[in-house]
Amino acid sequence: MRIDSRWVSSFTVAAALSIAPIVSHADETCNSPYMSGLIKGQEDFVHVWTLGVPGLGDGSDKLVTIDANPSSKTYGKVIHKISVGGRGEAHHMGFTDDRKYLWAGGLDDSKIYVFDVGTDPSHPKLVKTIDDLPAKTGYVGPHTFYALPGRMLIGNLSNGADKGGVTGMSVYNNKGDFVAKYDMPTSTIKQVRGDGYGYDIAVNPAKNALLTSSFAGWNNYMRDLGEVVKDPEAMKHFGNTMVMWNLKTMEPEQILAVPGAPLEIRWALPEGQNWAITATALTSQLWLVTRDARGVWGAKDVAPIGDPAKIPLPVDISITADAKGLWVNTFMDGTTHYFDLTDPEHPHETYSKHTGSQVNMVSQSWDGRRVYITSSLLSKWDKQGKDNEQFLRAFDWDGKELTPAFEVDFTKERLGRPHHMKFTARPQRMASLADAAAH
Amino acid sequence: MRPLGTRAGAMLALSLAGIPGLASATADPGVATAPRMEFSPPPPGSYTLQNIQRVADAVLLDSAGHAVRLSAVTRGKITLLTFFYTYCFDPLGCPFAHTTLANLRDRVRGDRGLTGRVRFVSVSLDPTHDTPAALASYGQEFAIDPNFEWRFLTARRVPDLLPVLDDFGQDVSVDVDEKGRATRTLHHMLKMFLIDPRGEVREVYSLAFLQPQVMFNDIKTLALEAGAAP
Repeated sequence: MRIDSRWVSSFTVAAALSIAPIVSHADETCNSPYMSGLIKGQEDFVHVWTLGVPGLGDGSDKLVTIDANPSSKTYGKVIHKISVGGRGEAHHMGFTDDRKYLWAGGLDDSKIYVFDVGTDPSHPKLVKTIDDLPAKTGYVGPHTFYALPGRMLIGNLSNGADKGGVTGMSVYNNKGDFVAKYDMPTSTIKQVRGDGYGYDIAVNPAKNALLTSSFAGWNNYMRDLGEVVKDPEAMKHFGNTMVMWNLKTMEPEQILAVPGAPLEIRWALPEGQNWAITATALTSQLWLVTRDARGVWGAKDVAPIGDPAKIPLPVDISITADAKGLWVNTFMDGTTHYFDLTDPEHPHETYSKHTGSQVNMVSQSWDGRRVYITSSLLSKWDKQGKDNEQFLRAFDWDGKELTPAFEVDFTKERLGRPHHMKFTARPQRMASLADAAAH
Repeated sequence: MRPLGTRAGAMLALSLAGIPGLASATADPGVATAPRMEFSPPPPGSYTLQNIQRVADAVLLDSAGHAVRLSAVTRGKITLLTFFYTYCFDPLGCPFAHTTLANLRDRVRGDRGLTGRVRFVSVSLDPTHDTPAALASYGQEFAIDPNFEWRFLTARRVPDLLPVLDDFGQDVSVDVDEKGRATRTLHHMLKMFLIDPRGEVREVYSLAFLQPQVMFNDIKTLALEAGAAP
C-alpha cells in the first residue's frame, strides 16, 4: 500500500521526499483532484455501491466491500456489506476531500448516504442520510459527488417538477448541510443554447475550469430501455451539451454542442495539457474538449468507439495516470476497449476484450496494473435473462492483455446489481490526536 | 508524549522520531510543484462566495497564555484561519501556508480599503508542545506590523482543541513508532478558512487553491459585501 502524501504535512515525508505534488494527474480512477490520500500502489479494498434486487438477499441497496489485496487471506472475497434499508437506484459515489467519508446517491429516491470509510475501511459505517435534496433544490437524481475543499459538489440528473432532464448542481458542506444550488444553463451563450441537462462534473483547478456533461432525466433513466429507444419522443430527451463554468463564480461561460449524451469527463491534468475527454453514449464517439490560443474552449469528436452504427453504448471511461491511455466500456456488446491517447487529437484503439454479457463501470489502479469492471448500468436498463450477469471482475493488465484476477458473482452472493466502485487502503499506523495526547 | 517545551527541543525530537518513519515512508515523490494558476481571477465583487458553515465557539489560548474565545477572533473582521504546528517542515505544508499568508498580509497592508478589516488566525494542532511561549517565539517572524492582527492560538489541552477541529473538518493524525507509541510526526490536510465578519466560513482553500491573487480578491469581495470601511 502506498498512499500519496500530496496533502500530508509531515516531517517524515518532507524529509524523505523534500517536496510533494499537489494535483492528481489522472483518476484513481475518477476522484476529485482536491482529494487527499490518493492510493498509488496496491489498493486494499474495493467498495461497490450496489442496487438492491427484489427477492435477492435483503433486496436493499448496499455498500459492498471486497478485499482486493492479493496478499490477504480474503483476497477477492466480500468481507463486508451494509444495507441502507431500501431501494433507491444506487448509482455513483464520491469521497470527501479528506477521503474519510464516501457519499453515495440514489437516482430514484434522491437520498444521499454518507459512509465512514476512514476509521476502518474494511467495515464502512453509515453515519448520515441526507434526504433534503429535492426540497432544497428542486432537483432529483444525485449522480456525481465531487469533492471541493470542505464541501461536496453534486451533479444531478433531473428535477422534481416534470422529472425531465433539466436540472442543476448542488453544494453541501462536509457536515451534510445544504449550501447552494446552480441551474444548468438553458440560455444561449456564444451562439449555443443550453439544454439544462446534467450528468458528470470535473474540475481543473489550475484553469479555474469546471466542466459538466449531460444525460437524461428520471423519465428516461427509470424507464425500461427497450421502451425508451422505441419512443421517438423519449429519444429527444437526452443531453446534447457540455458546459464550461467559471469555478470561482459558478457562472456558465461556454456551452459546447456535444450531441449524443456526453457522460463521464476526465481532465488531462499534467502541466501544459489543455484538454478533457468524454464519450457520448448514443453516438459512440470520443470527444475532446480543448482550449485554443485565444482561450476559447471547443469540442470535437476525435474517434469512434466500436461501431457506432450498432450503438454499443459506451458507458464509462478511465484515464491513465499519465493521460496517455483510456479504458472505455461499451455496455451492449460487453466489451472493454483501450485507446492510445498519446495524441489526444487522434486516439486509436489498441486493444479490446469481451469482458461480460453486459459491462458498465471501469476503474483502474493508479499504476494502471489492475482494472476492475462491474456489470450494471441501471435497474431498468440492464439486460434480461441469461445476459443479466451481475459481477465485479478484476483483471491484471500488463500493457498487452487483461488477465482475470478474481470475480465476485453478485447474483450468486445475493447482493444485487453492482455499479460504482471506489478504492480504499488500510490506514497507516497512526494514532488520533486524542490518543496521542493521552499516552 | 513528554513536552520538550522549546522549538529546538521539538526539532531534536522530530529528528529522532522521524527516522523510523523513513523506512516505511509510503508517499509517492511525484512532481515537485506549487499551486498552478493559469487564469485571470474574476475581479472582486463580481461573484458571491458561498455560505459554507458557521464557526462554532470555543475557548483557546493566545500566545500570552490568556484565554480567548474563538468567536472573538473570527467575527468583526474578515478572517483567514489555518491550522499548523510550529515544527512542521513540509515545504508544501505549514511553512507554505504561512508564506502564502505573509504574502497576502503585504497585499492587504497595501490596500487602504482593507485597513483594520482583516486578521489572520493560526491555530496549533499540537497544544502539548506548542505552548503559548512557543507560539510567541514562532510568531515573532510574522509580527512585523503591530497594526496588522495576526493571532497565534493554542489550547490548554488537546480535548479543548478537538471540538474545534471537528467543527472545521480539519483532520489530523499522529504517526506511531514500531511499539505503537506516538511520535512527533503529525499528518493533516492543509486547509485555510476564509471567514466573514459574521463568523461564517465563505471559502475553504486546500493546497491547490492557495493562489494569493484569488485569495486577495476573495477578501476584497467580502469587504465589498460588508460595505465601505467605517
